[in-house]
Amino acid sequence: MDIKNALSDDILLSVEKPARYVGNEVNIIRKDLKDIDIRFAMCFPDVYEIGMSHLGIQILYELFNRRNDTYCERVYSPWPDLHEIMKEKKIPLFTLETQSPVKDFAFLGITLQYEMCYTNVLQVLDLSGMPFLAKDRDETYPIVIGGGPCVYNAEPIADFFDIFYIGEGEVSYNALLDLYLRHKNDPNGYDKKAFLHEAAKIDGIYVPSLFDVTYNPDGTISAITPLYDDIPKKVKRVVLTDMDEDVYPVHPLVPLIKPVQDRVVLEIQRGCIRGCRFCQAGMIYRPNREKSVDKLKEYAKEMLLSSGHEEISLSSLSTSDYSDLRELLDFLITECADKGISVSLPSLRIDAFSLDVMKRLSDVKKSSLTFAPEAGSQRMRNVINKGLTVEDIMGGAAEAFKGGWNKVKLYFMLGLPTETDEDILAIPELGNEMAALYYDTVPKEERHGKCQINMSTSFFVPKPFTPFQWAKMEPPSEYKRKARLLNDAMKEKLNHKSLSYQWHHPEVTILEGVFARGDRRVGKTILYAYLHGCLFDAWTDYFSFERWEEAFTATGVDMDFYTIRERSLDEILPWSHIDVGITEEFFKREWENAMKASVTPNCRDKCSGCGCRSYGGGVCYAG
Amino acid sequence: MPDNIKKMRLKFSKTGNMRFIGHLDVMRYFQKVIRKAEIPIRYSEGFHPHQIMSFASPLGMGLISSGEYVDMDLVCTEEEYSAADIMNRMNKVLSEGISILDAAYLPYKEPNAMASVAAASYIVHYTDKSFDMSFEEICRKKTVFFDEASSINIIKKTKKGERKVDLKPLIYRFDIKPEANGYFFDLMLSSGSQDNIKPELMLDTFHEAMGISTEAYHFFIERTDLYKNVDNTFVPLIG
Repeated sequence: MDIKNALSDDILLSVEKPARYVGNEVNIIRKDLKDIDIRFAMCFPDVYEIGMSHLGIQILYELFNRRNDTYCERVYSPWPDLHEIMKEKKIPLFTLETQSPVKDFAFLGITLQYEMCYTNVLQVLDLSGMPFLAKDRDETYPIVIGGGPCVYNAEPIADFFDIFYIGEGEVSYNALLDLYLRHKNDPNGYDKKAFLHEAAKIDGIYVPSLFDVTYNPDGTISAITPLYDDIPKKVKRVVLTDMDEDVYPVHPLVPLIKPVQDRVVLEIQRGCIRGCRFCQAGMIYRPNREKSVDKLKEYAKEMLLSSGHEEISLSSLSTSDYSDLRELLDFLITECADKGISVSLPSLRIDAFSLDVMKRLSDVKKSSLTFAPEAGSQRMRNVINKGLTVEDIMGGAAEAFKGGWNKVKLYFMLGLPTETDEDILAIPELGNEMAALYYDTVPKEERHGKCQINMSTSFFVPKPFTPFQWAKMEPPSEYKRKARLLNDAMKEKLNHKSLSYQWHHPEVTILEGVFARGDRRVGKTILYAYLHGCLFDAWTDYFSFERWEEAFTATGVDMDFYTIRERSLDEILPWSHIDVGITEEFFKREWENAMKASVTPNCRDKCSGCGCRSYGGGVCYAG
Repeated sequence: MPDNIKKMRLKFSKTGNMRFIGHLDVMRYFQKVIRKAEIPIRYSEGFHPHQIMSFASPLGMGLISSGEYVDMDLVCTEEEYSAADIMNRMNKVLSEGISILDAAYLPYKEPNAMASVAAASYIVHYTDKSFDMSFEEICRKKTVFFDEASSINIIKKTKKGERKVDLKPLIYRFDIKPEANGYFFDLMLSSGSQDNIKPELMLDTFHEAMGISTEAYHFFIERTDLYKNVDNTFVPLIG
């Protein structure tokens, strides 16, 4: 097939990694535009190598392209070198498959995986030659749809989107595309407003322009009201209840340049049984639903052959909880052994089983083990409902040290609700005890050097639809003090030579905090920031906190209102018109349990009545 | 070597959008294609086995080629997999822009492709040029620059610093051929680990000698083949 590149050879050869822009990947889907009624441009708003590593896009690419009337093509953020050229030469942003302008498409779907991609979303609209605001885009422009975890509170970017898709793509996209076709073929002509009004009646389809938000004098929200009586007051997340009906990309796209994740990714389950109170993914993907191990074995075989990848990894939350993990890993290891394919393990709970698997797969001397206690003290771990005791951690470490490992990574969060200095000081103490355990467990003659315990912390960002959605954040000065406190305490420890500590800088955390729980008034700040040079904010080299501070000042938006303000439990939160299937009562109960440092059992041990039983599937109905 | 370990050499082309893929990615691509095509390649030992495979010569970004080579060790007999079988299996799964043109089993002792390369041939066209020169004139200039010169000294920049190189004995063929609306270059240059001369370097030197700056033209370069030296004759790596 002869497709002319959107960029000239001269441009392609003048930018970094031109293969980002020419398509032609292994397993790319080709269709004849003559047979196509719906052109769907699917965008991951970050650089190609990141976007191509994302499983969700591949699932949707498969889902849409199974329709004969639809052609789903891909688009990624042009890197700053090409961004400059496209702006200067007025080259419209294009898709990889047919190298066509995005503006020619019926839909532009943008996945929102992390808050720091928001300026990249505006770049995509800008380079495509589309007005930023949905209300300024008439019938001649694509319908812009957002999906992914950020849509559970997409209010800060609500003005830029026509639709947010709330939930799992397999459920409602076909209904949405069928509706679009009916409207497009309407003898009276296609009317965008009429289409959006009807779309809002489909499960999981949120049309932000159809909800009016009003505010109290103190800046909090007074009401969120739908504009029509015939659309739901709350948009409920859609969930695929039967995992045997999943759509899986068994012929995955394989890029010609090395992506971040250069491997087969096997999604083994959705959702998590654990209920850690800080974790949004653990809530918004409930209920836990496992795929059958027989089906996964088939997928694995077919995907390895169709991609030629030399590595396979598993994707899920809390992988150790997958019921048939032992059988699956045994199968993969046997299947891959003589084919030069490696099995890469996600972070597993450290116990005899996982250590045995790791020993079979990697060189113990070179590899390091990861524990994520998230908090240093038992009290704090109970507050966050991380069902992990010091005995679990030390027991796992002792096993590992006996097995020959001597490098351990420990992940923690700082700034969790109710945190005291005592909780923080428990972090280096845990590291110290673990190092002491090494020297007690492993006789001198069997050690290869000293052990290395690497602790790292990130700052906690309260997320919508978690029991901590009401929590207040702390000012940057406090974050810095806490990190210093930890670091100083570590240096005093007996085994300090075996310990190291790294922390993330708090500036990005603060912005994430604003966007995670922001409302529609933050949109103008994001637009200002983009127009004044913010782009690729997820990249340390491009992120400028000063530029963002300037944007907040210029647009009169106060970051503290969204981060360090105390919220009352009855405040109308900006996302209160979205229903993730979990009741508000559950979140409140869990918030109170957190304040009492009281632990809630996991879904398999005992149902805590979060509300997700209403979906009619998964762990809620198991056993 | 055990009887079932065989050495195979493949000749392939790289065209179209594949010219935007650098050498490391071409290697990565072949590793995947070999697994996709279920080629019985030999793997190294250890926790992270890799395919025993080596390429003759990296091709620069933007260049196309109809004469690239890769060697690989296979674990099979020629009866199980003929050279044609291997070639067909790979061509079935290759993406647009890379095709296997030829395949041959080699004696196991044959030096690998990379060590064998002694010369490379190129066809070079202008994609655009902002100077005027007739075919006759450029041929005259070429005679002075090349045929009548006893040496063509240049300073070659290497990773270790600068080095004086005489291009003259490293240019094995320098022809300019007429075509509709102009002319193109037909070159054979020294290649390999010893004295590797890139066509851009040689042609830039020629244009500089004619008083034409590098900004005044762009090239489209095709590498047409790679050669080994057999008794002072250049023969293609499969041939």
